[in-house]
Amino acid sequence: MRTSDSVKHLFARLVSSLGRATATREFKWMKQALIPSHSLTLPAMLQRRLSGEPLQYILGTTPFGPLDLLTRPPTLIPRPETEHWTLRLADMLSPTPHRPLTVLDLCTGTGCIPLLLCHLWPPGSTRAYGLDISKDAIRLAMDNAARCNIPSSQPSSLTPYSQNVFIPVLGDLRDPAIFKYLLPPFDIITANPPYIPKREYDELPISVKDYEDPAALLGDPPDSEEQDGLTYYRLISQLLRQKGMLRDGSIVALEVGRAQADAVEGILQQSAGLRNTQVWKDPWDVKRVVLART
Amino acid sequence: MSSPEDIARARQLKELEPLHEAWSNWTHARQSLEETLPLMQDPDPTMRTLASEEFTSLAHTLSTHISTTFPSLLVPPSSTRDLHALLELKAGVGGSEAALFLLDLLRVYVRYAGSVGWRTSIIQSSETESGGMRDAILEIKGEGAYDALRWESGVHRVQRVPATESSGRTHTSTVAVIVLPLSEDAENIGGNDELFKMEDVKIEVMRARGAGGQHVNKTESAVRLTHTPTGITVSMQDERSQHQNKRRAFQVLRARLMDVKLSRDIANRRATRRNLVRTADRSEKIRTYNYAQDRVTDHRIGLSLMNLTSFLEGDGVQDFLDALRRNWQEEIMEDVVGESE
Repeated sequence: MRTSDSVKHLFARLVSSLGRATATREFKWMKQALIPSHSLTLPAMLQRRLSGEPLQYILGTTPFGPLDLLTRPPTLIPRPETEHWTLRLADMLSPTPHRPLTVLDLCTGTGCIPLLLCHLWPPGSTRAYGLDISKDAIRLAMDNAARCNIPSSQPSSLTPYSQNVFIPVLGDLRDPAIFKYLLPPFDIITANPPYIPKREYDELPISVKDYEDPAALLGDPPDSEEQDGLTYYRLISQLLRQKGMLRDGSIVALEVGRAQADAVEGILQQSAGLRNTQVWKDPWDVKRVVLART
Repeated sequence: MSSPEDIARARQLKELEPLHEAWSNWTHARQSLEETLPLMQDPDPTMRTLASEEFTSLAHTLSTHISTTFPSLLVPPSSTRDLHALLELKAGVGGSEAALFLLDLLRVYVRYAGSVGWRTSIIQSSETESGGMRDAILEIKGEGAYDALRWESGVHRVQRVPATESSGRTHTSTVAVIVLPLSEDAENIGGNDELFKMEDVKIEVMRARGAGGQHVNKTESAVRLTHTPTGITVSMQDERSQHQNKRRAFQVLRARLMDVKLSRDIANRRATRRNLVRTADRSEKIRTYNYAQDRVTDHRIGLSLMNLTSFLEGDGVQDFLDALRRNWQEEIMEDVVGESE
């Protein structure tokens, strides 16, 4: 079979699997991502897409606001919902080099949330930490920081910084030792923790279930008593409750799954003692973020 | 750094350049003519011949100044001279043949823009299975792009035997072109300006995503804007980034609103009422491309070009743009003269 014939045939199969409009657009993006002399060919891309691999892993990047971030299996691919609320959060605050903010992003994955904040806020106004338990994620977050021209090492504490900084840290949020590297208090704590309950996880499309890290998706450890997908919100609340973690006027923004917002609001109020809470909807009208202020 | 006053002054100087240039050329030619006159009685016959040739050429220069150069200076500088352009092309009657012709026209404009040194990018397109396009939006970045291309708005008609037609019958298909003005700052998302208020724009994302969030990793970047007061809607889905699609959608919305504003300004100016080209209805057929006769005809000015290939593959479009600009300038001059009577 000639290459063009096989491309035509593969594209026809993509149309029947995704619908014409989506298939046409994805095919166009694949062609745009083609690099001559590169080993990645159009038929190979189409084959991978047809077997269910996410387009973002095939192309190796995903847009996130004005950024273009690297995506690599198995690290969770940044979602448009996360992009939307991060842009909204960035719009809501305006730090300056004279009044800088310290950000902690838990379960940082690609580093998308702190990187977008660092990109949008003025130089020298932001110092961000990103914590993740996965080595792959931390490596990717480092690579993404380099791609966005954001330094990812500790600046000297004596001089005022002229750049925003994003420091990815490998560690478990249950481990108190992490605060040797992360220096509270924080002005902003963000997280898009795993929140999918086991029974919903079993029903996920293969492009999610077979390709993305279960540890970034499953909301509860298998041995957990509760299987409501909310384990990480309970853990985060314990962290927030610790003395000296938050400043006066700090903001906590946690992404949640569908129908979890009310429960997470309750957890933040009761176990973290954050009474001042608010819920943000995503562009698809789903309650997506629980926001709390101290 | 130059102050706003400096910039205004520099602009004024630049606008006066043609006037200055015309006047110095005129003075120079007249002076040369006066110097040539005595030489026409020179005893040397060679000198006399040279002088007489010189005289003819100078007389021609002077009369061109009187008939063309000076009148054209009466045309006030265009208020849209800095603007870039968005070209919207839509296939009309003729099905897949219209979609194929749309691609031919698109290439003409892309090549023309390239020859002038303008940057182009196709910001939206929907390809058909037969290799044509149902519609496309072409961004042309370059000062003066709008002024040069605005006469291309209207219905373009092609008469040819489609490549797919086995019986050899000639088909007639059409493509509608709309040229929109694009300003430098049109890419900003949001913010109120003279064209619209942010609260009047409804931003929608397409389709439902089910649970969304971590449950779905499908790319979902389509955006639709609706400007409530005018009912104008813009949909963008060509980019992977929703952010980028939104930026593009605002760019197109601004261009359409600017177009509405310019049309209103023109309608409000009584003087332009007699201007045929400018007030032409966009649903009107403006040009025919006839393959059998190898001919392009512009119906507004009755201009025909007898070499279709030079239009589609070369710089033939320049002849039409020049003729349409001259036609427009003459109408403006008539208006100016008419007003002073």
